[in-house]
Parts: sequence; structure tokens; C-alpha cells
Amino acid sequence: MTQKDPAPASAKTAPALKSITIEFDDRITRHFMVASITWGVVAMLVGVIAAFQLNFWEANGHVFEILTRFLHETLKLSFIPIFDTDGIQYLTFGRLRPLHTNAAIFAFVGNMMFAGIYYSTQRLCSTRMFSDVLSKIHFWGWQLIIVSAAITLPAGLTRGKEYAELIWPINLAVTVIWVVFAVNFFMTLKIRREKPLYVALWFYIATIITVAMLYIVNHLSIPTSLTHSYPIFGGVQDALVQWWYGHNAVAFFLTTPILGIMYYFLPKAANRPVYSYRLSIVHFWSLVFIYIWAGPHHLLNTALPNWLQMLGVFFSIMLWAPSWGGMLNGLLTLRGAWDKLRTDPVIKFFVVAITFYGMATFEGPLLSLRSVSSLAHYTDWIVGHVHSGTLGWNGFMAAGMFYWLAPKLWGRPLWSKNLANMHFWIGLVGILLYVASLWFAGIIQGLMLNELDATGTRFVHDFVNTVDKIELLMLTRAIGGTFYLLGFLLLVVNIWKTARSGEPVNETRVVVADPAMEIDRMTWSAAFRNDPIAYTFWGLFFMILWFFSPPGYSHMALICTLAFSFFAVKKFKADTKTWSDWYDEFSENYLPFSVLVLVAVLIGGMVQIIPTITVNRAMNVEDRLQTLYTPLELAGRDIYISEGCYNCHSQMIRTLVPDVVRYGDYSRLGESIYDHPFQWGSKRTGPDLARESGKRGDSWHYLHLLNPRGIEGASRMPNYHWLVENKTDFKGLPAKIAVQQRIGVPYPIMAPAEIEQGAREQALKIAEGLVKEQVRIPADADGKEPESETEARNKLAGSEMIALIAYLQKLGTFEEVEKDELEPGMPPVGPGVPDKFRPDVPIETATATETSE
Amino acid sequence: MSKNSKREPEVILRDHIFDGIREYDQKLPNWWLFTLYFAIVGFILLWFAYYQLPLGLKSDTERIEAKIAKIDQKREALLEAMVSSLSNESLQEMSQKPENAEAGKAIFETKCLACHGPDLTAKMGTIQLPGVSLVDEEWLHGSEPLKIMEIVTNGSPNIEKGMIAWKTQLSPTDIALVVSYILSKQPKN
Repeated sequence: MTQKDPAPASAKTAPALKSITIEFDDRITRHFMVASITWGVVAMLVGVIAAFQLNFWEANGHVFEILTRFLHETLKLSFIPIFDTDGIQYLTFGRLRPLHTNAAIFAFVGNMMFAGIYYSTQRLCSTRMFSDVLSKIHFWGWQLIIVSAAITLPAGLTRGKEYAELIWPINLAVTVIWVVFAVNFFMTLKIRREKPLYVALWFYIATIITVAMLYIVNHLSIPTSLTHSYPIFGGVQDALVQWWYGHNAVAFFLTTPILGIMYYFLPKAANRPVYSYRLSIVHFWSLVFIYIWAGPHHLLNTALPNWLQMLGVFFSIMLWAPSWGGMLNGLLTLRGAWDKLRTDPVIKFFVVAITFYGMATFEGPLLSLRSVSSLAHYTDWIVGHVHSGTLGWNGFMAAGMFYWLAPKLWGRPLWSKNLANMHFWIGLVGILLYVASLWFAGIIQGLMLNELDATGTRFVHDFVNTVDKIELLMLTRAIGGTFYLLGFLLLVVNIWKTARSGEPVNETRVVVADPAMEIDRMTWSAAFRNDPIAYTFWGLFFMILWFFSPPGYSHMALICTLAFSFFAVKKFKADTKTWSDWYDEFSENYLPFSVLVLVAVLIGGMVQIIPTITVNRAMNVEDRLQTLYTPLELAGRDIYISEGCYNCHSQMIRTLVPDVVRYGDYSRLGESIYDHPFQWGSKRTGPDLARESGKRGDSWHYLHLLNPRGIEGASRMPNYHWLVENKTDFKGLPAKIAVQQRIGVPYPIMAPAEIEQGAREQALKIAEGLVKEQVRIPADADGKEPESETEARNKLAGSEMIALIAYLQKLGTFEEVEKDELEPGMPPVGPGVPDKFRPDVPIETATATETSE
Repeated sequence: MSKNSKREPEVILRDHIFDGIREYDQKLPNWWLFTLYFAIVGFILLWFAYYQLPLGLKSDTERIEAKIAKIDQKREALLEAMVSSLSNESLQEMSQKPENAEAGKAIFETKCLACHGPDLTAKMGTIQLPGVSLVDEEWLHGSEPLKIMEIVTNGSPNIEKGMIAWKTQLSPTDIALVVSYILSKQPKN
């Protein structure tokens, strides 16, 4: 590993070159790598269980009863007790799915990314990490966060926003640890011994900055207790912020760091130069700039204002080329090294990973078309799409990197190349089964759900029949996932054996340091006051002006945009050398570089989110305003979120004929304006619930929640029997309502006792109705049945079941409001118009009274 | 590396070596650039057309409302046509014919059985189902055949004990058949 001592500088006048021995901190890489592999197994195992739950509802715990009963009764193994349960509340799909996604994203890919970043950054900067202490804090802090997530999510403690489910104390911890990581990383850049920043580092910079920005904004919330909070955004605002975050979590947590890792590990493994530096530049900057804008494509055909949907669609299409730039630079780097594809498992994994990246980033823009989305959205096609990214791109990049790293980190060749090859093939078959079956499942279900009869007035298939129809495909998917997990277990064995038979090695390297070398010397003015920046700035400035200015002016703005683009191209042609020299120098300065990245990623979010959150909320209501939840219904809503119902049920009837025919009138913005968090959902494994209220009786919901198959034979929904046993948290309601008031929900002033009593009274009324209908009330854990009707009523009234039913019977209730005299279309009007729908009492006063009590 | 550079003399191999990694500076592939330009130009043209040309495009809500209004109208017309051809007596008569009751039973079993039970008592064995009994001589919303038909069509007005409207999944004929099945099951007298 050590290099020859360089010949002492035949110094003329320059100061003598010094040779310095660096010992890289490879221990931290080993740590992160082992953590990633461990959590990877957990994440995939939970994923496989969740996939089977979509075929067999029994997989949420009832399977234990079947198994023990079989052993006890059929095999006469009487020493094995029968485990009597029709489901365990900690294991339902609604709670496991967030665990699966969080573990896969933040634990598996997160730790893998850190392993890759710590390994490559030290080498690309020719220095050890800035601080071992910070590295350690980062590592252990991150693992602690993961453990707490693994406990809280199955326990039903959640914020109810996808990939942002962790409760607020953990959010704070994530922020702190991310800052620790950022400080460590940027300080390492500061003390680097290489003047230019390699393209991998650009991607790491973009990752660290953007994830911080996204994470903080999407997690802004106000606590109501130690484990619960409400996000400050509600309804459409929350939807927009959530998918700005959700989409860019894919972009900046699952894509940019992995691209950085590709740019380091692929040329290393292939021993070939990177294909094109200028492609790196163009695709890096277009990727980080454009990605941010594409979030609204998760909300197509919904109540989201049309102009935002359109921005989402167009920027998704523009994103295609930048994404493929990364794929091209990866695949074309292999020119001249393709023979290694036959022999080197690392290259195999990388090539397939990059191919899946290309496929997923082609599929993405396709799915972003509004017409395609009308079929694919809410179906398993989307799930398949995401997994071709995570299993194909992330998972295989991780595997390739681990197989390449293990020999370096433990100082011996990989234990078994054959086993790695086997992993490759099993994994690949797994992905193909997985993705292909979900294409079919998604399209079949989408077509069935959208099918109307010959008169065009009625839908043809019951929802549950569409679920039944794709049963075999869903099973194939679960089997594909199992294959992938099996392949990954081979990796575990391989790395384990390699590590056990080798010794941990920390690479030491002698580098030649030039004391005269000065890094990061560019002045801010030189960095930012120049043609490339100026033309880009003014071009974008007028483009945004074009979006927002009133008719007439917008044409002027468009002409300015085009003029700036035209002159920019002309200037670039004339001054190519100056422009590229500027960039070469610019990318040698980490601070201005990071600032420009920040600006690039800020623009899209600001253009989309700021108008939506500053515009007076009444502007967004269209012609309907959601009726406020009563305290009991609010409690029920929190139970709905805690059980993760949103993982299978949407609350958004899109402006599409099949949706309206099946579920009722299309959803208006005003109908979810007070929903913190919004519950529009992203997947329909069950039907939409936006207009559930009043469709079915209380006893229907009661019996259906206890045993969905009693009503819909083919239903996959778990039995929620614990809802009868779990007590509604009436005492916590005043604090929750106080926070609701603070975030702008116009609750009238209510004394805490009044809130609690109101909730209890409403619960008693519903319970009484159910008891009158002689619904079966499950026995207590100790087998006690309620003795009298009053006892039964009181037991029910205190249970989560009643609160949840109250909530379900509220969904979709609204008040008609006069349509504002506003022009339809975009932009959505400026702020400053009085909100006539607010209560007479100002919110501040209400809160003040609340807290003073 | 040098061999490769000779083969493609125009390709620049950049000087700096990062931990052994070097970079070519190949020209951007034309087809790739075109897809990028095409997407950008498409965006500008379409956005301009959509929001700034007076093409009289309808908004999403206008479009869906127009479509749904038409569908509702058609559905009502179909229902109207069906209902006007029926009367309490003719429905009773329909229910006398075994083939109608048979056809109605098939529909009942797929759509109604879950709540009203196999024998229309809203009980499955001893278990109470969510629906109401249809054979206990008590009609919450009126016992005339046409009234029953209307409740099936438009749903129950009672929220706590509601039933969904079936008009968006059952054709008027199907509804009439289900009603005749129910009528055929009424206790005689």
C-alpha cells in the first residue's frame, strides 16, 4: 500500500516538498459497512413480511396461532401452548411499512452511504477525516436513532408523513447528528491536500446540504406531548411540502450520494478514467437544480392547483436527460473494461445497478405524465418503480461497493467470488420478478378500477375484486423480494467470512504535500461576479417572473428569459475558455461551491412552496370548507394515523371520472385544509376514504374493523380487535387542540374540561347506538364479557374503536362557502386578502387563554 | 491509458489524478443533449400555450364537472326510464316470477349478503351483521316496492345505520331484480 518515497524535491526556489504519512480512518468505514449490512437484513426482512401481509392477512400475527394450533392439536405436541391471537397490533402492515421504508432508506442506504463517503472522501482529499470523535458520534448517534425508530414505529408512534414518520424527539436527534456529519465532512474538505474537488465530492456536498434543508422544513411541527406533534403545515401546504421532501429524499438520499459513490468506486474497480468531465458538470448541476421542482408529480390529478401539477410534470420530463447523464458517465467509463463484466462480481453489480438507475429514471418521467399517472397512481406500479430504484440501483451499488471494500478493509481477498456471483444472480432474478409482477399488478388493477360499464355510468369491479385479481402477482412479488433477501444473506456470509479470516487494516499512505499549495483561495466576488453566474441568474429570474406575472407582463418576462438564454449561448460559444476556466477554479473552492449548490436547490422549493404557504388559506378552499373535527374525531384521526391507515387508504378523489363515479364528488382543497398532517395518501390497497362519512353505518365500521373478512371475504385488511381494548387518550385532547389552534385551525375557545367532556359524550352516544344494535363486544384479555348494556356501552365508549368510527363518519363533511371572485388558473393570487372564514376570535387570543388555564 | 488516447486523439485526458482516478473530457453525446433541449423547449412552448394563449382550455374542475354532469344525467335518465315503467304492483308481479327472483338472488349474494345475511335477517348464525333485517316486517323507510327500490338506488338517509347508494354499481334492471328478490322473500300475509 505504501508508495515509494518521492525523490526529495530538486528544489530550485520553491519551498521543499514534504512527504507526509497519512493513516486513513478505515475503522469508521468498517463500522458503517457492518451497520448497513445488518440493518439491510432487517429492512429487507420486514419488507418481505409486509409483502406477504398483502397476500395473507394472517401474516400480521395470526400465523402464530395457526402454527401453534397445528403443533398442539394436530401433532399432539401438548407442551406447546396455543398462542391465541387474530393479529398483533405491532405487526400490522400499517406499522411495518413505515419501519420497512425507514430502515431501507435511512438505515441500510444511509449507513452504506456513510461508509462510502468516509472511505472515498479521505482519499479524494488526501487526509484523514477532520475529527475521529465526530465520526464516532456520527456513527453511534445514527445507530441509536435507528434503534429508537425500530421501537417507536411498531409501537404506533408516528408523525403520519411518509419517510418522515419518526416522532419529534428523534427528529431533533437526526438533525444534530446530521450537523455533526456535515461539520466533519466540510472541515475535512477544508484541510484537504488536493486542490480540486472531485465530482464525487460535489455529489456529497449536494447531499448534505439538501437533505438538511428538506428534513428541517418537512419536520417543522409543534409537540403536544413527548411522543406526539402536529406538523405546522396542513392540507395542500402539507401535501406540497411532504412531496417536495419525499421526492427529493429519493433524489438526495438515494440518488446523489450513490452517484458520488459511483464516481469513486466504479473507476477504481474498473481501473478506467471517468468518461466525461464536462458531462459530470452538466448533469450534476442540471440534476440538483431540476430535481427539486419535480415533487408535485406525486399529486397529479388531485386538488393541488393546476400550475403546480404542470411544473411537476414538465420538470420531471426535463429531469430525464440529467439523470441519464449519470448513467452514461457510469456505463461509458467501462469502455475498454467490459471484459471485467465476465470476471469481476463488483463490476457486474455496478453495471446492473447503473442500468436500473437508467431504467427507473426513464420510468419516472413517464409516470409523471398526467394521463399515465391517472392509471398508475395509487397502484403497485409505483411500488415497483420505487423498488427498481432501491433494490436495483441502491442495493446493487451497495453490494458492489461492499465486495470491493471488504478485501481492502480486512486485508485479504474476498472469501468467495462464486458466492458473490450467486448473490448477483439470485438478487437479479428477485428484482426482475419483483418489478415485473408489480408492473402487471399495477396496470391490471388500475385498468379494473377505472373500468366503467357500457353506459359509462357505473363502475364494474368492486375494489376488493381488483385486489383479489392480482393475488398471484402479489405473491410473485413477495417471492421476488424473498429471493433478493436470500441473495443478500449470501453477502452477509461472504463479508463475515472475509472479515473473520482477515485482519482489520487501516491504510497508510505517504503523500507529497506542497506547502506552497494554497486551496480555497478564490474570492467570493471572483466566484460569483462573472458571466456564467450572471446569465444563469437573470435567465432564471425572468423565468420565474414569467410564471408569476399577470398577462401582458408575462410575455415580456418570457422574452427576457429567451434573450438571456440566447446571449448566454452566444457568449459561451465566444468565451468557452473563460467560462470553463472559471468553473475549474470555482470547483476548487468548497465554500462558494456549497453556496451555489444551496442556491440551486432552494429555487424550486421556494417557487412552489412559498406562494402556497403565504397565500391566505381561504384562497385555497375553492367552494368548500372542511367541517372542524370534534375533539373525539380528532382523537380518532390520531388513531387512524397511528395505525398507519394512510399506507393503504387515500383520502383524495381525483378529478377523474372513474374516481368520481366510484367514490363520489372530487375532493376540493378546502376539504382537507385543516388536516395536519394531510392524509391524501399515495397508495390504494384499500378504497379511498375521502367521502366515507354517512355511507355506511356505525355498526358496519365496527364489525368491519373487528373482522374485515366478515363483510368483504377477500379483504386483506388486518383485524383491529385491539381497538376495543385500547383506551382513547381523552386527557391529552386539550393539549392537542391548543396546538391545533396555534397552527391555525380555527377551534373556538374551549376549557379543557369542556373538551374532554364533549369527547366523552359523543363517544357514549355512538357506543349506545352500537350496543342497541347488539354488536358483539370481544371479551377482555382475562375473558370477562361485559355483564350489562351499560357496562358494555361504557367499555366501548372509552375505546379507540369509537373514536376511530367517529372520525370515519366525519370524513368528507364540509360547509359550502361562496366562491371567491378569483380567476381560475395560476398563479393563485397574492397574499393580503382578509380571511373571512377565520373565526371572530383571533387565534393568538385563543391560544393565550388556553395556556393561561 | 496512453493506448486509448492514441486511438481517440481528440479526447482530452485531464491532468489531475484523484486517488488514481483520472477523467476524460469527452464531448456530450448529441442525442443526450437533444433530449435535454427538447424537454426544455417543450416545456416553454407548452407552458406558454397552456397559460398564455387564449385557447379556451377548460380547467380540470370545469372538465370533470361537465363530464360528471353528463354521466349523472344519463344515469338519472336510465333510472327514470326504468322507474316509470314500474309500479308497486308490477314489481310485486316481477317478484312472483321465479326467474326474476333467481337473478335477483345472484346479485344479492355478491353485493348485499355481507350486511343483510344469507336469509335476509341480517344475522349470520348468531352474529349480528351491520345491515337491517329485510324480513321482519319493519320497514324503516317505507314498505312500498318503489320506496325500497329508491333506498337501494340512493342509499339510506340514516348516517348511523346507513347503506351506500347502489346506483353507481348496479344498473336499474339489476336494482329492480334485487328488489323483486327481496319482495319474494317477504313473509306471506
